[in-house]
Amino acid sequence: MLELADYTFYFLALVTLVGGIAVITAQNPIYSALWLALTMVSVAGVFVSLDAWFVAGVQLIVYAGAVMVLFVMVIMLFDLRRETNAFSRGMVSGFLKLASAGIFLGLIGGSIYNSAETVFAPPPAELEKTADATKALANTLFTKYIFSFEVIGVLLLVIAIGAVTLSRVQGGTHAKHD
Amino acid sequence: MPNTIDTILKVSLNHYLVLSAVLFTLGVLGVLLRKNVIVILMSIELMLNAVNVTFIAFSRYSGNIDGQVMVFFVMTIAAAEAAVGLALAVLIFRRFKEINIRYFEHLRG
Repeated sequence: MLELADYTFYFLALVTLVGGIAVITAQNPIYSALWLALTMVSVAGVFVSLDAWFVAGVQLIVYAGAVMVLFVMVIMLFDLRRETNAFSRGMVSGFLKLASAGIFLGLIGGSIYNSAETVFAPPPAELEKTADATKALANTLFTKYIFSFEVIGVLLLVIAIGAVTLSRVQGGTHAKHD
Repeated sequence: MPNTIDTILKVSLNHYLVLSAVLFTLGVLGVLLRKNVIVILMSIELMLNAVNVTFIAFSRYSGNIDGQVMVFFVMTIAAAEAAVGLALAVLIFRRFKEINIRYFEHLRG
């Protein structure tokens, strides 16, 4: 019998996919951004349904919070008007793109259908309670992956400097006019 | 055969993987079909989210927490990529008054 968790999953999947389709079909970039926010929130819901509570919280804060604010601010910076031709032209190339995406999806779907059930046939073991799972996550992050963690920190510093540099070169928002 | 249908509809790892695959394909289509740089960046975010769903699903169904750590790294990279990509979009807009992907080739210098 189907349980509440199953219906929740199908609802979240529906919202996610509708949001994803709307992101790539909306004519106005600001609507794309808002649909993307909805998609992010429902993906956070999917994470919750997979018992990844902490990652779901980070998803809400980082994606639905910070990254979306970044997108919306940049869109507001621009002269916003409805795009007359938002999609790339060309019937043949458009058909080829759709076909290749379809083949790609079929390839992944086929491999999922053929393999995944055999690898993870037994039902999942119950993970620990929320606080313990978060603790285990932190332990893994700060012992096994400590080097990667530090490298990511350096990467963020480089990105911050790079973004500031990009916005200061000629034509940026804080351009030096001489 | 209500039993068979129930078995198929019962949410398992495959359902999450299929959701992730469809979301990823939507992102691919957005990158391929759209011309607006910002929408292309959003489509890339869609793809990264799809990958995150896969990571978390495998992490849950194999009882291994390493996948969640990977999701942290992916999120960090995604935020960094959005910052740089949007800075480039601002650059394109200031110079060409339009954020079309084809202006990227004129950004030299």
